[in-house]
Amino acid sequence: MMVVLLVLPLLGTLFMLLWPKIAPLLALLTASVCSLAALQLLFLVSEQGNQQVLLAGWPSGLAISLEANSLSSLLILLTALLQLLVGLYAFATHRRDKLGAGFWPLSCMLQLGLTALWLSRDLFNLYVCLELLGIVAVALVSLSGDKAIKPALNYLLLSLFGSLCYLLGVAILYGAYGVLDITVLAARWQADLPSSIALLLMTLGLMLKAALWPLHGWLPAAHAAAPAPVSALLSALVVKGPLFILCLLWLQLAGATQVAAVAPWFAGCGLAALLLGGVSALRTPFAKNMVAYSTVAQLGYAMLALGLLLRFNQPLFAAALWLFVLAHALAKAACFLAIGEITATLGGKRINTLKGASQTMPLAMFAFAVAGGSLIGLPPSGGFLAKWALLQGLWLQGGQLFWLLAIVLATLLSAAYVFRAVVLAFDRADPVAPDFAPRILPQWLALLPALAVWAMALYSEPLLQLLKQEGL
Amino acid sequence: MRLLLFDAILCLLLLTLALASILSRQLAHAVILYIAFGLMMALAWARLAAPDLALAEAAIGAGLTGALCFSALAHQQPQLKPDVLNWPKRLWPAVFVLLMLGGVLAALLQLPPSASQLIAVTQAGIGNSGVSHPVTAVLLNFRSWDTLLELVVLLLALLGARQVAPEVKPATSWPLSLGWSRLLAPMVILLAGYLLWAGASQPGGAFQAGALLAAGAVVLRLNQQLSWLSWSNFWIRLLIVSGVLVFVLMALLAILLTPGNTDVVWLRWPPHLAAGIILLVELFATLAIALTLTLLVAGEPASTGAEHGCGEGA
Repeated sequence: MMVVLLVLPLLGTLFMLLWPKIAPLLALLTASVCSLAALQLLFLVSEQGNQQVLLAGWPSGLAISLEANSLSSLLILLTALLQLLVGLYAFATHRRDKLGAGFWPLSCMLQLGLTALWLSRDLFNLYVCLELLGIVAVALVSLSGDKAIKPALNYLLLSLFGSLCYLLGVAILYGAYGVLDITVLAARWQADLPSSIALLLMTLGLMLKAALWPLHGWLPAAHAAAPAPVSALLSALVVKGPLFILCLLWLQLAGATQVAAVAPWFAGCGLAALLLGGVSALRTPFAKNMVAYSTVAQLGYAMLALGLLLRFNQPLFAAALWLFVLAHALAKAACFLAIGEITATLGGKRINTLKGASQTMPLAMFAFAVAGGSLIGLPPSGGFLAKWALLQGLWLQGGQLFWLLAIVLATLLSAAYVFRAVVLAFDRADPVAPDFAPRILPQWLALLPALAVWAMALYSEPLLQLLKQEGL
Repeated sequence: MRLLLFDAILCLLLLTLALASILSRQLAHAVILYIAFGLMMALAWARLAAPDLALAEAAIGAGLTGALCFSALAHQQPQLKPDVLNWPKRLWPAVFVLLMLGGVLAALLQLPPSASQLIAVTQAGIGNSGVSHPVTAVLLNFRSWDTLLELVVLLLALLGARQVAPEVKPATSWPLSLGWSRLLAPMVILLAGYLLWAGASQPGGAFQAGALLAAGAVVLRLNQQLSWLSWSNFWIRLLIVSGVLVFVLMALLAILLTPGNTDVVWLRWPPHLAAGIILLVELFATLAIALTLTLLVAGEPASTGAEHGCGEGA
């Protein structure tokens, strides 16, 4: 099953390159078959437990190992479904928005890179996946043409620097232990100087690639410059890849003293991201930049949950971490598609363009508001589930008043930037006239993930159970 | 003793060339110094007993990257000058790099001197891998999934570069360089074929052979030859894609050929067929790498050339 999930996007891409005319069709077909396969993998994992594969039939240590646990299969399913949704949106709008033909093979490669990353448990193979992901993301950003070249180049250079840092760390670990397989490495791990420095280097590289505060500077420009479907994919999925590796490193490899030293820093960075990202989102005059800054802020929640998980070792924080990732992926896809649709129809990049959008484009605005509700953490959305797990974990630890207050403040900030857009949309006195008649289908497609993130509440119990025991 | 002196001079030269390339005021000078740096780097790899890396560095680091930088310079406006940074702006990156360097050096000095146990495991497994050169065995058998993904990364680099590729202006070439490039072409093909074949038992293999082939093709392309070599030509596209495609098809075929086995193992070559499969995969990978690198470095042919090419429009 894992092989199918890896081979299908690969073959799909190759055929798209050979016959560019049928590329959109192939992309949609690949994404839908992959979604079904991912669903089957999820069932398989929940019935028979974790699936492990040693590639090429060599013994452990020599071979690359892949592992599908329930978290990986959930993330693969999310990737495939979002690919399908964004593919449909791009198919519905590619004539109007002049989306280049390069989008289809590139998005399919993105799916391959992400699937390979969620499955891999080998440090060097993870590097190759990171590289694949980085280059595909840059190529996708540059689809916007000349105006995107500068952000894309910045993204490329920083992403390469991040990869290089990660690779240096892998080289040091290989020199010290002689293995690359994470499970084998974890058994031999010693908390000494080389391993600490390797971990620090890898963390630096991954934080840069995942746009975690304070290394987030490239993200708003790059995500705002990309076409709407690309921004949705980048914000929803691509930044989560390095975050996943970061969690693998610190949860599976790092020793107790190393974890204790770094946990407050992670939590602090997360909090700073929440507050400063929120303030930036509140101040920016451009609609897409606001959504992009909100990604920086929301990644802060994941970082904060990781820091608290490392510090208190409480399974609720693990659940909070992955719930944030899932809820944010769905909500952010909806936000970017809705904002992309509104700015394309109303013709403007500034946030003032949204004026009166509740009248002119009610569906898209509804999608934005619903997704924004999850970003704020209103019950009963996925964002609320995550935040509730975080608060409950903090409450159970006791005496964590500072963090509780900080989270409340962050919630108010996110409410402020979401409502800033929503209030403008309800300013019906002088609405911005659409350039052409709004189209229904893309707006519905933007609404789908927003509804899905609220539907997460229906499955809150199994999700919480699953992610609590997982924690990687 | 003599080799120690050689190593010391090589290290000094590497550092000097790197600094000179970074601090150079003119981009053209920086590129020339960078090419020289690549050559010295290849020597350094050879001294570190990594001839595979030395070959790749000489072909890609010194050769193709240099050509790429020069063709990028040719597209720049002539009046464009690099921004001169003031000292405080240079200081922060320098401090950061020195800190990182210190950390890495401290870690490297603490590393155990003993070789990894994996080397013993590799030696044990090499009999069943189909080749006798350990680097090739690792690349195309033990960790073939990495290599497959690396080939995808290379393909992606081409796709990404095509998004932002500038218009190529038709230019005329110099008769002497045209004659030389034609004279060199058969030699390059012969040498690349040898490197590919040698990869089974000694340093060499698909990446090196492909890079060499690409270098020959780039020289021809810079002299306005090979106008049929463009992305819009279906057969060229097929060859570029074939590097990954043959790899995947072979892996699927290997699954079919494994008899009486219920559990499917991805990318496992049957031992008696491994040598043939690896040679086939490497052959197509070489062609794909050569064409990808050529298109990456030289870009599409000028529009006058594309018209009488045999390509069908995409």
